[in-house]
Order: sequence, then structure tokens, then C-alpha cells
Amino acid sequence: MSDFQSNRHDELTRRHFMSNAARWYLGVHLAPMFGASVATAASAPSGAKAKNVIYLYMSGGMSHLDTFDPKPNKKEVMGPLEAIPSKADDILVGQHLPKTAQVMDKVCVVNSLSSKQGAHEQGSYIMHTSYAMRGTIKHPSLGAWVLKLGGRLNPEIPGYVAIDSSQELTSGGFFGAKYAAAPIGSASEGLKDSRKPAAVSKGDFDRRLALADRLNKQFHGRYENADVKAYQDLYQEAIRLMNSEDLKAFNINDEPQSARGLYGNGRFAQGCMLARRLVEHGVRFVEVQLGGLEPHYDNFAGLEGRCQEFDQAYAALITDLDKRGLLKDTLVVVATEFGRTPEIKTEHNDGRDHHPSAFTCLLAGGGVKGGFKYGETDSTGSRVKKDEVSPQDFNATIAHALGIPHDLVVMSPSQRPFRISDKGSPILDVFA
Amino acid sequence: MKTRIFTTLFFGLPLAVLPAAEAPASKTDDPEFVRKAALEIDKHVAHWYRRQRMEVPDVTDDATFLRRAFLVTVGRVPTAEEAMFFLEIEDENKRTQLIDYLLDSPGYSSHMANWAFDLLRVADSKPGSRGGFEPYREWVRKAVDENMPWDDLTRELLAARGSMWDPDEAAVGYYLRDRGMELDNLANSMRIFLGSRMECAQCHDDPFGDTERMEFYELAAFTHGQGTGNRKPMSGIWDEVSHEDRRRTIDYAAAQVLWDEVFGMTLTGGGKGRIQLPGDYQYRDGEPGEMIGGRTPFGSTVRLSDRRDAGDGRKELAEWVTQRTGEQFPSVIANRMWERVMGRGVYEPVDEFVPASDTHLPAMMNELITLMVDLEYDLKGFQKVLLNTKTFQFVPNPKPSKVQSGDDFHGRQLTRLSAEQIWDSLITLASGNPDTKPRRTADNRIRVRGEVVNFEGKTMQELSDEVLAIDSEAEMRRYFGKFLASVKQGGSSKGDDDMMSMRRKVTRYGGNAQVRASELPSPAPRDHLLFLFGQADREVIESSSSEPNVGQVLALMNGFVQEQLVNNSDAHLYKSLDGASTDEEKIRRLYIAILSRPPSDEEMGWMLDEVKASGESGYRNIVSALVMSSEFLFLQ
Repeated sequence: MSDFQSNRHDELTRRHFMSNAARWYLGVHLAPMFGASVATAASAPSGAKAKNVIYLYMSGGMSHLDTFDPKPNKKEVMGPLEAIPSKADDILVGQHLPKTAQVMDKVCVVNSLSSKQGAHEQGSYIMHTSYAMRGTIKHPSLGAWVLKLGGRLNPEIPGYVAIDSSQELTSGGFFGAKYAAAPIGSASEGLKDSRKPAAVSKGDFDRRLALADRLNKQFHGRYENADVKAYQDLYQEAIRLMNSEDLKAFNINDEPQSARGLYGNGRFAQGCMLARRLVEHGVRFVEVQLGGLEPHYDNFAGLEGRCQEFDQAYAALITDLDKRGLLKDTLVVVATEFGRTPEIKTEHNDGRDHHPSAFTCLLAGGGVKGGFKYGETDSTGSRVKKDEVSPQDFNATIAHALGIPHDLVVMSPSQRPFRISDKGSPILDVFA
Repeated sequence: MKTRIFTTLFFGLPLAVLPAAEAPASKTDDPEFVRKAALEIDKHVAHWYRRQRMEVPDVTDDATFLRRAFLVTVGRVPTAEEAMFFLEIEDENKRTQLIDYLLDSPGYSSHMANWAFDLLRVADSKPGSRGGFEPYREWVRKAVDENMPWDDLTRELLAARGSMWDPDEAAVGYYLRDRGMELDNLANSMRIFLGSRMECAQCHDDPFGDTERMEFYELAAFTHGQGTGNRKPMSGIWDEVSHEDRRRTIDYAAAQVLWDEVFGMTLTGGGKGRIQLPGDYQYRDGEPGEMIGGRTPFGSTVRLSDRRDAGDGRKELAEWVTQRTGEQFPSVIANRMWERVMGRGVYEPVDEFVPASDTHLPAMMNELITLMVDLEYDLKGFQKVLLNTKTFQFVPNPKPSKVQSGDDFHGRQLTRLSAEQIWDSLITLASGNPDTKPRRTADNRIRVRGEVVNFEGKTMQELSDEVLAIDSEAEMRRYFGKFLASVKQGGSSKGDDDMMSMRRKVTRYGGNAQVRASELPSPAPRDHLLFLFGQADREVIESSSSEPNVGQVLALMNGFVQEQLVNNSDAHLYKSLDGASTDEEKIRRLYIAILSRPPSDEEMGWMLDEVKASGESGYRNIVSALVMSSEFLFLQ
């Protein structure tokens, strides 16, 4: 950990960036960086329709067979569960996802994800960063890349927010803390401490900041340290945030009862509701994690509960975004680090172990085809049979949806080249 | 003699310092031993400087040393009284005495507990699983408190078996925590205790390391075969109550307590010593499904048969890890302790063992290894030696290490305080020395659906002992019947006194309590300051983060800091102003309370201007600014 701390300066090799910038400024749908005026959306490359991303991360390894890649003809891998039809022809889902079944006409199912990382830490890391975990450098998460290359839509509130998520997976990496997600621990509490306390007058508040600023300049003068500077920059950001009209975006208690009824009441549901509000107010990338997936032991007992939580919230999110006309601009991703074994381990009370060689992720909105299946696994869901997609390809596809060039090379402070999805290539077939 | 005066003077102040638990005698109780051992380390560092043709840095001033020593040993800033005392006395041995004082205080144990919880991933519960791991947490806490030698602790964890509810066997929590993920658990063990990263080898030969998939499975053989308690006598009952339509009944909830929390929290089998290769084994040296015997991949070889179950594989593994891996075991823990005290490991990452001969200062690494073994893995004693070196006292160095992956011994690098150090320091400022508050204790009462149940006044341990002793279905039905009756009646009349005394013994803190991080839920709730500042999630080894984010800054500007510290006239830090008559004196005391140092002349100027301009609220503004400052958040 300390190695990356010492390497982290907020730099970018300008020359390298600028030479590529001209290429993608044309037709770029996003606000560029460095305070330049907004680029006009001249004919965007096909697929570059999305402005925002809602990234729903199923932490722990979501069993593809029990959810979006069921094999109704193979009882032995299905266990006690059945597959049910959905609103999309040819797409079946697991029986615990009835509400989601009703929105599958808007969803693109990618059944052919395949990874070499079968351990949680490494698997989650590569899904989030496109690179393998190394002890020597900390890679920026996907959201940090999007924020870095795409900039903010709303300059006053954070461009990247992570709800109920691990901070390790939503970090700014070598881009620095400015690009890390603002963490929201509890969706119902929103962004804590974002209002100046009533007991403090504006005058006093300003005086405190001025004093702290003086102290910090002195400290920074003595110790030229990037970590110290990062805190200084954040104070500016915090003040902008506190003064922003859009702060109310973080308060889900403003939502009417009907909305809560639509999404459900669990943490994940509230996270999804908050995510919708945030993209409405211009947050570029919102991640919401659903945890508690560890079905090595007794897969089917825990599964129903987890699916129920997901089912209602996901269906609500898609429906809600669509109704508000936001779905075309918002790419909704459902991702996980690996799937689960077709083999059901009876000695572990019917558990399923890790299975990285084949698993499923979803895309919806943001110019993606609805009711579409990409890629195929074999009859037991064990191996990918057609159109294999690596985590890098998947991330390249997300980048492409946003109009971010997946092959743009950015140099880290340690002068090593990196890309938003490493060597991945976008799957163009999924775009309408 | 002098030490006694020091601690007596501290005791004389209105502070109640709880005496530490009775610890066995250590070589480091002898100040001469400590002095000599510290000197040896300093000699190696001096040699390093000669080789690099650099000047040995200065030793830092008292104020910096004070704050650094507190934060490194007891994980919080000194109270104003502690700080003023240290800064004002003139005694050439005061730094050594301070270290003795700190190591003997309960704060040391709290701060070490955080380290142990992060490393061993000790959480109160596991997502997706019923029941909690309280007794296991308690076991680890106690082991740290008693300064259990690291090799003993390692062996107890790796060779654990039995019931988690039995305080002597609660170390089984180490395995129970990863129930169903034995291979991940093994990979974690290798990383924690031997600095060997084998996670990738679960699925394939590790392209970046040395481990082959076969070697991983040969190691996994040692811990294979982790059973629960014998559930057979209960399986009839279980089938009946876990039927779809009965799942909502109280019968099911009561049965779950036995099924999941008694049987499920029991670890039987000692490790078969042999294992079947997985169905997708892809290399030539074995067949999928083939039975292979245990074999250790390095150090001195231990082999177990593939023909019959060994029955004590875990014990063999524990012995091998702690005694038959040469320098590896002591090196990894010595290096972790070096990082803890000095800020960076001799080699980094500390999770990846490097033989001493491959480090940039082999002679010193060997010195540390020898010292660790000589001290018989006494972690407190080892840290005591390190804390007494001159190297520990070097002035802070803001530049990154000149050594690619390790310490350049050039003075402590600036690091942000950990989430726990920040929280523990804030509550010290808000409500005084936190080590005087009662510690969290485990709750051993029986609960069904979250409600305490009086079943003849029994504890979970007693319930567990009785249930595990039952070996016939008939007897189990009788017992379960009695239990269910108690639950339905809302408790038996017998045992009321027992229940009362149990309740009195329980100390639990919710997320809002102003107690140290080690006493709060593990990990802290996601709306807690600890989460905001990057506390580890205790799902992944040492996954804490010190990355800044806007939420942290908001918490410092508004929220907790404002309510409990700045705007709260009862906050402990304001007590240090008692008796101060001039503005200068007040400002000086606030500085010492918060930053553990007096203000410079320039700073005094700014602060006096502030007080002149704002009157009483000027002091609040000063407190707020000081707590918000980078100097507060960083360790020099």
C-alpha cells in the first residue's frame, strides 16, 4: 500500500493526451476536461449514446445458472429451481426473478463472460479496473476512468459516487483521490454532514476554513507530499458541494411513497433509488453494491432472499428510468466477479463454488439493444461456447457506450501506459 | 527508579489508568537488554548510511516524538494532560519511560487488537450467514491483551478444533469464518503467516509466483475434511421444521439456533491430510479426482499419506508453519512489526516474504529475525526494542523511500492516520482518555429471533455442550421439546438469577458510542466515521484504505467534529483551559491538546488575531481549524 502512496501525483502526460484528444473530441458526447467549453455533440460514433452509468455490482460471485443463464433441460445443474419466461423472446431467467422478467425486453444479457481470476479479491479487482492486482501499483476503477476522461456533468457535486460499496474497488488509483468515488455508506442517510451546522455562522465558517488553509499551506510547505495536498484540494470540493442546489439529490427521503413502494425497502433498493436521483442531477457514474453472495454453502437458502432484493429493485430502476426518459442516456450495468459452479456440492448443503470460466453480466439502456442475448455457454453453463467476452472487453463496451475511446493510452505517474480497459475491445453487436 | 517516578506522577493526575493484564516475564523487562538490542539495530542502520554515503538524520523534537509514540503504540493522540506532562518534565530518560508507560497501558492492547482484526479478518458476523462470531472475536481480543506469543497464536488458530462457544476452543472461529471456502482460507493462512501469496494457484499454476496448482492442493490436504458437529440426531426434527410452510414458525427459528449456531459453529475432524484433485485439474502430474496426500511445498518437508486419513493434518500444518519453514515464519512477523513501528516494512509489500539475503540490508533483517526468535515471538517486547532505537526517533522525511520496495531507514514517511487512529483521537478530544471506559464483552445468552431466551438460565456454551453430547434421536427430541417450550413460554422461571447476572456482565456498544474502534462493532457500520475514513471491511486481509474523499472532509467540517468537539463546551479538550488566564496561554493549551505541540510565534500571531476579531467564538474557530488541518490527520 505504501508504495502506491509514494507514487501518486495528480499528473497526466499532457503531450500524450493531447495527441489523442484531437481524435476523439470529434463527435464526443461528453464534456471535456481542463475547463474547456463543452464540445458539441457532433455525430457521435454509433453506440456513444450514454451520458451516465449506474453500475450494480453483485459482490461475491452471482450464480449465472440461478439467474440469467438457466439450463432448464439440465435438472442436475438447476437444482430445485426452474427457469421462467420473460418479456423478451428467447430469454429465460431464474424463477426468483419474476419482476425482472417483465423488463428483459430492455436488457442485453451477456452470457459469455469469462475470467481467469477465481478468487474474490482478484476477481473483483479485475472487473473494476481491467487489470490484474499487483503489489506495485493501484489501478483506477472504471468510475475513476470515466470521471477522468469524461469529466463531470455537474461541476458542483461529485461525478462519481459509490453507495454501500467497498472503497478499495472504487478508488481513484494512480489518478489520485480527486477521482475516487464519494462514498455513501447508507442510502437512506445520504451524504452525511453536507450542511453547515446551524449553530455556526457563515462568518465563522469562513474564518475556520481560512485558518485551516493557512495551517495547511505551512504544513504543505514543510512536507511536499501528494497525500497532504489531496486533502487541501478536497476542502475546495467540499465547499462547492455544500453550496450546491443539487445537494438535495442525495436525499432519498424526498421521494414519494409510491417510488419507495416500487423499489422496495432494503438497502440495495434504496441504493438504486438514490442512484436514479443522482444521475438525474448529473452524477456521471454511480456504483451500488449488493453483497452477501457467498453460496459455497447452502446456495439455495440464501439465494431466494438475495434475488428478491435484486429483482424488485432492478426492475423498478429500469422501469423508472424508462418512464422518465432517462434510460436512453443511462447505461445500467449488472456485473459480478465470477459465476458459480454448475456442480452442486451436496456435502456443503448444496452449495456452489467459484466459477470464473463462464458467467453472466447485463447491460441495459444507453443505446444498448433490448431483449438481446450475446454469447452462449455450453449445455451445463460450464464453458463459453460462443463469443467469449473478457472483463476487459466488457469494460471496453461500457467505455464505448459513453463515447470514451477504449484505446486511449494514459501514462501513470510512474510512466507506465494504461487504458480504460487494458487490451479489451468493445462488443459492437450489443449496440442498437 | 526513574520509571516509577514517571508513572507515579502520571497516576497522580486525575486519570484512571487501568493496570494491564498480568503478563509473563519477558527478556525486555530488563532495560539493559532493550538498550543493547536497540543499539544493535541502530548499528546496522548506521552501517547503511555509511554505505549510502549519507548523513545520519537528526533525532526529532520532543513534541513530534510524543505524538508519534502515542499514535504508534496506543493508537491515539495524548490527552492535553499527558502531553503537557511529557513536554514539561526534564529527564534524559523520559522517552524510554514514555514508551514503557504506553506499552503497559490498555491502549496498547486496543490498538494491537485493530491490527489483529484486520489481519485475521475478525468480523462480528459474515454476510449471508446466520449467527455471529462473538466468542471468536473475544478469543482474539484476549490473546492480544495477554500478549500471546505469535507462534502460539498461529498454532492455536491453525490447529483449532471444537466448539466456538467454549472459550478454550473459540479459535475455531478462524476456520468457521470461511466455512465452505476452505481453499480461500488456506490461501489466506499462507499469506498471513508465511507471506506466501498462493491465491492464484487455487485454479492454475501461478504465472507470477512459484506455486503450482498441485502444490496448492497438496497443502490444502492438511486442512481438508472440516466437519460440523454431528447433526444426525437432529436431522429428523430439522426436516420437519424446515419444510416450506413451517419456515415462519418459532419452531424453525428455535431449531436454527441448534442447527446453525451449535452444530454449525463446531469444527470437527482434525484435517484428513489427503484430498482429491479437482474435477478440472489440467496438468500432467495428476488426474482429476485423484487422491493425493499432503505435502509441504517449501521449508522442511512434511508428507501425509494419500491412502488413509491422518486425522491431525491441521496440527501438522500448524507445526510446519511455525517451526519448519526456517527464517520465513519469524521474518514475516518481524517485518510486519517493523512496518507497524517504523512506517514501512524492511521489505514491501509485507505480505510477500523476501529472504533476508535478498533484502537491501541482509545483516539487519537477520538481526530482526534472530531477535524475534530470541524473544520467543513476544510481539510487545519486540516492538519495545524497536521503539527504543534511535532510528525510530529520526526526523520525519516527506520524500518517498529511495529503496524501490522497502524502507530506506531515512526517517518516518508521512502517512495519514488510520481510520481507527483518527476516531480514537477524536473521542479522546471529545471525552478524555478512552481507555478508562469498560471494554466490550461477549454476550453469551441464548437468543431466538433476536430475543434473549431464558432456558433454565443456561448460556450458549452450556446449551452447546449439552446438545453436542446427545447421540440419539429420541434424546434430541426430548431436549428440543424442552427448549422449544422455554422459548414459547417466554422463558422458564428457573435461572432468573443466572440471566440477571449474565445481563450485567454484557457490555455492548452501538455505532454511536464514544468508545475506541476496537470496542465497536467490527467492522463499524457503513454510516460511521470509521467507514468514511477507510476502516478495513474485514472481508479481505488488511483492506483498510487511507485514501481521502470528500465525505471525510465534510465529517471534519460539520457533523461529529462540530457537535462533539468544537461546539460542545463539555468536550474534554476545553477542560485543559481551566486556570488559563491569558489568550496566549489558552491558545497554547489548545494547540497542545490537539496537535500535541505549542504554536510557533507566527501561528500564535494568527490565532491571537482571530481571538481579537471573533471573541469567544474565536476559540471554537481555532479548535475547528486545528482538527481540520492536515497536521492533525497525518503522522510525522
